[in-house]
Amino acid sequence: MTTVNIISLNKTYPNQPVPVLKDFSLSINDGEMIALLGPSGSGKSTLLKLITGIERPDSGDIQFDGSSILSIDPNKRGAVLMFQQSYLFPFLNVEDNIGFGLKVQGASAETIRGEVKRMLNLIGLPGIERRKSGQLSGGEQQRVALARALVTNPKLLLLDEPLSSLDTSVRMNLQEAIRNIQRELGVTTIFVTHDLGEAMAMSDRMALLLNGEIVALDKPENLFHRPRSLTAAKFMGVSTFLSGDQLTVKNEACSSSEKIFAIRPEHIRIQKEACKNSMLGVVSDCVFRGEYIEYQVDVNDVTVRARMPMPAPMFPHGEQVRVNFPQEHLFEVN
Amino acid sequence: MKRITAYSLRAVLYFILIAPLLLFAAYAFSTRWFFPQPFPVEWTTITFLRAINDSRTLSSMAQGIWIAILVSVLSLMLALPAARVQGLREFRGRQLAWLLLFLPTIIPPLAIGMGLNILFLRIGLAGTIAGVVLAHIIPTLPYTIFTLSSAFARFDENYEFQALALGASPWQIFLKVTLRMMTPSLVVATLFAFLISWSQYLLTLLIGGGQIITLPILLFSAASGGNPSTIATLSLLFVAPPVMVIAFTARSLSQHDNEIREQY
Repeated sequence: MTTVNIISLNKTYPNQPVPVLKDFSLSINDGEMIALLGPSGSGKSTLLKLITGIERPDSGDIQFDGSSILSIDPNKRGAVLMFQQSYLFPFLNVEDNIGFGLKVQGASAETIRGEVKRMLNLIGLPGIERRKSGQLSGGEQQRVALARALVTNPKLLLLDEPLSSLDTSVRMNLQEAIRNIQRELGVTTIFVTHDLGEAMAMSDRMALLLNGEIVALDKPENLFHRPRSLTAAKFMGVSTFLSGDQLTVKNEACSSSEKIFAIRPEHIRIQKEACKNSMLGVVSDCVFRGEYIEYQVDVNDVTVRARMPMPAPMFPHGEQVRVNFPQEHLFEVN
Repeated sequence: MKRITAYSLRAVLYFILIAPLLLFAAYAFSTRWFFPQPFPVEWTTITFLRAINDSRTLSSMAQGIWIAILVSVLSLMLALPAARVQGLREFRGRQLAWLLLFLPTIIPPLAIGMGLNILFLRIGLAGTIAGVVLAHIIPTLPYTIFTLSSAFARFDENYEFQALALGASPWQIFLKVTLRMMTPSLVVATLFAFLISWSQYLLTLLIGGGQIITLPILLFSAASGGNPSTIATLSLLFVAPPVMVIAFTARSLSQHDNEIREQY
């Protein structure tokens, strides 16, 4: 069981002007699952490479349980990485793939067989020892890859978008499986993804990454409902920001003109009646999405995106409507 | 129609490949076969057995095989790192590096051989097996490097990173992952190196200086001597190892192929 401290990491790749990681610090509790959410190029994968030792940081430190691992050889760090593809060794069967880590560390054949069996039960695929990786579906391959990573009893499990190459249904299924196995074994985990829903569903805490820096770090529900900064709010799917410049609603919602208020798209109401904190707008788009209707309404030359949960009225293109920003859902960002 | 064309093309190809061998066999197992006769009249195995039991033939074959094996191993060892960098990395001067690596195929072996001969005479490598092996490596390298680098271009280093994270040491990764993934190309590269070395005449003659006798050397001297039966027998012996090597690798590659096909 491991606590992980990442302290002021800096990394710039040669021939690249911009650093990939800037003074990056992050503490992870024992047994915690942290999701790193960010667009490509935000430094997520680089961080994983630094932790595993594939790359070396320019400065800063990475500590497991308080002691630095930077001087330890990559193969002795106990940080196991799982990629987007399974990278199961094609020349080995499932048993030898899962047992690979134990074998190179010198475990006996008996131990390996027992452990492989235990892991196969854990991932819910008992009895497939003799199969080759090509005979497995994508989801099964990722399960086996997870078993291969966990069988060595790693201090830290690093998941680099392990689900992004899978179909939605398999993906949901595997999200739960990974989450349950991670909880059961209590292994400290960093989960890299660019999928907001996945990050929220999987993690104890989420770190939002942009240009090599953490812009927000909190529990998913806190980040979702009340992101503190404008950048974090945009990450979390908020697209409507109210201030004196854009929308006059400010006069009713708040007193100071310097403040910016945000509201989640599902909290905005599109209606016919005027009320407090509402503004006149024209519907520019209305899409039926099943669980909700997605509106785009032009208000004072600004497009406001709203999601009205069903059942909701459908207003056609060009209709004049009132866009209502309920006061209790407005929150301040900076 | 298409199939008939394919079959007839195949037949022509086989004929071109096999006819000379049949001719050699006819010469090797007959005596006194002269012009107007369409087929040999007298069949005999005496010349063939004599050539085979000749200690010079046997030792030249053994020496040739030994040299070819050494050349294959050394050529692979030299080619692997170079091929890896050429196949996996982008760097300034990569094209220039390609040019340099391919120079042996462009420059006439005679030019290399003459220069090497003088150098090897000075450092005492002329007339030794070591010298001949080193000389043979020159023409084999472009082939081994090219074969392996195209395999490395398709190779995904994440397999190695995966093994590293699972606790494998660099040597374990090399032996248990990299070499295993590269096996088919390694077989092909070895084959190239072996065959090029085995059939090398000029460099063996120049560097070996008459002290290192391989089958091609023997064959050339027999060819200038003029006994058709001996020439034919030596020629048959000369093509035997390559044919066996190719048959063996074709089989092991097709097995490997099936393994790979199973995976996808």
